[in-house]
Amino acid sequence: MQIFSFLFDRHLERTVLAVAIALSVFMLTRPEDGRIAAARSISSFLLYPVSRTDDYFTSVEELTAENDSLRTRVVSLSHENERLTQFRDERNRLRELLGFRKDSFFEFMPCDVIARSSSRFHHSITVDRGSDSGVLPGMPVVGYRGLAGKVTQVFPSSSRVLLLNNKSVSVSCLVKRSRVVGVLAWERGSFFSLDYVGKEEDVLPGDTLITSGFGRVFPKGFPVGTVFHVAEEKTELSRRVGIVCMTDLNKLEEVFIIIGGRDWKGGEAWLELEKNKKDGEEPEEGKAAGGGEQ
Amino acid sequence: MTYLLRIVLVSFIVFVLQVTLVHNVKVAGASPDLIMVLLVVLVIDRKPVAGIIIGFMLGFLQDLGNASFLGMNALAKTIVGYGIARFGRDYLPDNILFRGLLVFVACLINDIITLNVATTFHPAEVIIAFFRYSILSAAYTALLAVFVMQLIDLLPRRKVRSGGRY
Repeated sequence: MQIFSFLFDRHLERTVLAVAIALSVFMLTRPEDGRIAAARSISSFLLYPVSRTDDYFTSVEELTAENDSLRTRVVSLSHENERLTQFRDERNRLRELLGFRKDSFFEFMPCDVIARSSSRFHHSITVDRGSDSGVLPGMPVVGYRGLAGKVTQVFPSSSRVLLLNNKSVSVSCLVKRSRVVGVLAWERGSFFSLDYVGKEEDVLPGDTLITSGFGRVFPKGFPVGTVFHVAEEKTELSRRVGIVCMTDLNKLEEVFIIIGGRDWKGGEAWLELEKNKKDGEEPEEGKAAGGGEQ
Repeated sequence: MTYLLRIVLVSFIVFVLQVTLVHNVKVAGASPDLIMVLLVVLVIDRKPVAGIIIGFMLGFLQDLGNASFLGMNALAKTIVGYGIARFGRDYLPDNILFRGLLVFVACLINDIITLNVATTFHPAEVIIAFFRYSILSAAYTALLAVFVMQLIDLLPRRKVRSGGRY
């Protein structure tokens, strides 16, 4: 205690000076590597708040840049997500179509709808396949749920398809359960009527309507619609049968043109009709059962 | 506490200036020693113990910039700080000429110590460097110190403690 008192009370000035000089000399006499390491550690200790602040601002800049990058990425991914969602929906539709294709005997040509008509009563679509792909006028067109229409005009790389809800299209159909035959005609929206059904015919709500194959324009057996309403006509000779179409004709994006099948060739009837027209003959077949446009 | 923070802030600024700006204001190859100016300003009205501690700290911080001679400036500034605090106010008249002279001598002592350490006590090299650089640098620093101290004198001063020292 006495020595401390001697050093710090009576000779504080000299003691501090001696300690400071001794420390300095001690640092000077250390090996150079040791000096550098010591200086580095002391510097980093003293400058820690500065480096932390610097790190903070650096990290803010990095975060801002990262944020901008992520915003761009979000936009990009949103678009990609939207596109992939469309692909997924398309894939689901095509899977349904594929299942449909497996069950049939027919040869289908897939095509995309590239245009729609703006007319209220003459509904038609344009598809991206034409004569270059082997499309012929008269070939039937189906959606993934059932019949959609038929090809009427063919261009090299596109074709015009008249839909079932076109006033000029009528289709010979039969009730799947009771095999009752009638002619499908559009009324409004997705609603059709099955004409020429006798009063005694066996038609019930819920029955499925399929193509009859008469007239050879539409192949036999394709689903067309479902009976939702059966009523007596005033004439009491026939029945009024209301049909709802299976295919949503207003939302067609992909369709299949039936280009052929077992014992059936797409457009054959059309070609025969055209040939008959040229020869000045009236087509005998199809008027009674298939309708004029069949 | 505010006063201490102010000293730390000023010291930081002086260190930054010494590292960045001083090389651009050389005159005939001599540059001022801003840290010496700071030391004189901080120590001249203080007790020798404070002069030793402040000198050691400033020298040590200066050494951190050049770790190969860690302790060199600490040693020099400790001795100079002690000398300024011990003799500056008590033995020298309080006028601008003697203040400048004090800084000039302090710079020379600082350079003698650092040159000896840097050249490992090689007298010829010390003498050449001393006459080539140290005298001019000391004069430059003294002029600058005088200017700075005059500026500081214009500022409002703190209350003087008993014993006449801050």
